Amino acid sequence: MTKLASSDYYDLVRTTNWTPSYVSEDELFPEMMSGARGIPMEKWESFDEPYKVTYNDYVATQREKDAGVYSVRAALERANFVDSADPGWISTLQAHYGALAVAEYGAATAEARMARFSKAPGNRNMATFGMLDETRHGQIQLFFPHEHTKRSRQWDWAYKAMHTNEWAALAARHMFDDMMFTRDAASVAIMLTFAFETGFTNMQFLGLAADAAEAGDHTFSSLISSIQTDESRHAQQGGPVLKILIENGKKAEAQKMIDIIFWRAWKLFSVLTGPILDYYTPLEHRKQSFKEFMQEWIIGQFERQLNDLGLDTPWYWDEFIRSLDETHHGMHMGVWYWRPTVWWNPAAGVSPEEREWLEEKYPGWNKTFGRCWDQITENLRNGREDLTLPQTLPSICNMCNLPLVGTPGDGWNVKDYQLLHEGRLYHFGSEVDRWVFQQDPERYKGHMNFIDRFLSGKVQPADLAGALKYMGLAPGECGVDAHGYAWAGIGASSRAAE
Amino acid sequence: MAQFPISSNFEGDFVVQLVAVDDAATMDEVAAACAEHSVNRRVAPRPGKILRVRRHSNGEVFPREMKLKDAGLLPTETVDVIFTDI
Repeated sequence: MTKLASSDYYDLVRTTNWTPSYVSEDELFPEMMSGARGIPMEKWESFDEPYKVTYNDYVATQREKDAGVYSVRAALERANFVDSADPGWISTLQAHYGALAVAEYGAATAEARMARFSKAPGNRNMATFGMLDETRHGQIQLFFPHEHTKRSRQWDWAYKAMHTNEWAALAARHMFDDMMFTRDAASVAIMLTFAFETGFTNMQFLGLAADAAEAGDHTFSSLISSIQTDESRHAQQGGPVLKILIENGKKAEAQKMIDIIFWRAWKLFSVLTGPILDYYTPLEHRKQSFKEFMQEWIIGQFERQLNDLGLDTPWYWDEFIRSLDETHHGMHMGVWYWRPTVWWNPAAGVSPEEREWLEEKYPGWNKTFGRCWDQITENLRNGREDLTLPQTLPSICNMCNLPLVGTPGDGWNVKDYQLLHEGRLYHFGSEVDRWVFQQDPERYKGHMNFIDRFLSGKVQPADLAGALKYMGLAPGECGVDAHGYAWAGIGASSRAAE
Repeated sequence: MAQFPISSNFEGDFVVQLVAVDDAATMDEVAAACAEHSVNRRVAPRPGKILRVRRHSNGEVFPREMKLKDAGLLPTETVDVIFTDI
């Protein structure tokens, strides 16, 4: 039997908007789940996906991808790269897996929402593959770190992190819940696949893959590059949905969704990817600074995509560009200073050579963030490690659930954007975080950030030990300085020595 | 006498921090309590300078002898702690 080329039948077989006879269209596609916004069914049928994939093609391609990744892993297994890798790189891997592996598994639910409830047949088809993609990403990113659990309990946080109340996990979950699990199908297409995956996962997976290859971690490099090939396919769902919304008078709604989730993604990546690229990755293996990656992937490519669709850059674009010099440096210092509260060992990344690099990439760094690191370095050299460890908690943003940070030292500009709403005082790390809250207070007002929980008595005893217990961090899991303070010119790289 | 949570935004530091202070404390004592978590940790001491407390939202500088409970601050409200000459 002659097999037709998929291009000859694809459009026909995915035309699956049949006329329901046992239930009404509204019952089949409830508005709460579909998010069609009154746009009639036939308009959704104009959804035209740039990537057209049949199930046969998909399975064959995915099988090849998995074969490639698993064979790289198998070939390099005996090389025990992890045992000789820089401790900063190990921290990169542990932070990455904990923050993303289970979240990717969860993303299958978001894809499933589109696969079932989108009114666009092409969206449903692509999302079915997207669902399988995300299942793959969850499983493969749990499987790869699993072999390292014999090395330290921190590796187990690849699975554990998202099931705890650890503060960074809370921040990630709040954002992912907002973007993936509590939105209708059309919103998921725009917020998850267009704003988040097109914009940000590109950077995490391609930026980090470049650094991984430089660092000699070919297993991790091939793993996340392979994942990104899936992402770049299923990220294409948002564009056609946006086109339909814009053509049918819903541009303002679409723009607001992008504005909200782009900022939320930025904040999350400022604490996850920023420190990794600018501080954890060994200096000699850094391809570009975090800011340069952001400029290339976000400002260059994402901005162009927005323009192509007839959308505007978010209203806070100038503030976003300004914060590329600031936010992740503050997040990094916060993670390092409160290092017992994370499941990886933060690399300070501020040796004299690294500081030179930071000053070159971020002119003025030495007079701002460098001032705080000067004091920290002096304390370590004077044997006062106690002063480099926290005695209280940072104030936390009620939107991004991350510390309220800004520029210290000579350029001190730290600001808390407060809001009194229905008798409760909320704190926000930026004007945009507060704006996001104000777009839908009913949606966000009930959430308690870590400080709210601490003050309400949920954390017992109400001290650092109680906080660690509440966060699920046991001895052997709490972070310590990745290099045993060797960067400060004292001691040895204790972790490496071990 | 009760512990009252405030958010400390200390001059020269990079982060706002939660600090619990006795509500009978004077503003000088509030400033000292906040300094505990910033000065000599990430902010270099500045000998000869005085620490003053001001309301973050509007810049109102509180009198040094004012009691925390008389300042009209909301629980967790942010105050700036700044170095001054007077």
